[in-house]
Amino acid sequence: MAGGGGGGDGSEPEFQVAPMIDVLLVLLIFFMTLTSAQVLKVDKSIKLPVAPDAQKQDTQRAQVILNVRWNPETKKASFVYDDKVYEQSGDLVPLIKVAKEAGEHKILEGKNPTFRCVIRGDRDVPAIYVSQAMNTAAEAGISDISFSAVNKN
Amino acid sequence: MKRLDLNVNDGSVGFQIAPMIDVVFVIMLFFMVMAGAVKVEKELNSQLPGVAETSGSTDFVDEQLITITEAGEVSLNDEAMDTPDSHDLPQLKGTLMRLKQNADAAKTPVIVTIISEEMAKYSRTVDVLNALAVAKIDSVSFTVTEEE
Repeated sequence: MAGGGGGGDGSEPEFQVAPMIDVLLVLLIFFMTLTSAQVLKVDKSIKLPVAPDAQKQDTQRAQVILNVRWNPETKKASFVYDDKVYEQSGDLVPLIKVAKEAGEHKILEGKNPTFRCVIRGDRDVPAIYVSQAMNTAAEAGISDISFSAVNKN
Repeated sequence: MKRLDLNVNDGSVGFQIAPMIDVVFVIMLFFMVMAGAVKVEKELNSQLPGVAETSGSTDFVDEQLITITEAGEVSLNDEAMDTPDSHDLPQLKGTLMRLKQNADAAKTPVIVTIISEEMAKYSRTVDVLNALAVAKIDSVSFTVTEEE
């Protein structure tokens, strides 16, 4: 690249546009990845609870995601798995068992040794429904449970 | 006012760097502002109790019980902690951190069971799980009291 400064001829170094565009584009790509990488996982009807001190999500792990929706008008909860809505959490046990068996084949030895269940519960859902979701995971043979939350309101 | 010359035969219009920089700046500003407002999904981990092997001797460990009522009251071993509208739970966090330090010094594990009333809000459970995460306590189980 053309040298900007350091010349001994005493002339003023010229403003170089090309390196500025380089830096600008790098910054642009940085902010673009930062925003697009944080897109929340699908179910927008769920308002996740706030936990500012929770751990960063491990996206590399083999997992099933179980959503627990809450309808404040009917005061009823429903369970969403694979974009399908279920009224009873027990209906999900065979499906999660199948997903677990398929997922365990993908697990790399040593790195992420267990298959897990991520429960994404609405912040207003009564605890009993989250407990039912945990029971479902336990019946499917999953003992590693993670609860999803957001860092701020 | 000078008129825009639309005669294309006069010569090629060169690549204009200034408007490009303008546009890139605007896009970058947009993404910078968006990056600050973005919500990050995080996780609180827990392990369900499983089957323990009984071939060797097992040490008994103290189990800490955290109860959550429907009104949002939190208590640790029957001692009330913080107010029902406190989401940060500073008193509970402090107590759990001391508990963890003492357990680490004695080289014993800390096991916590959260007992929530059936209709207590899940967000309150997450507040407690968040306090446990601050205290670096990861042996947590969660249960719901049966209504009689």
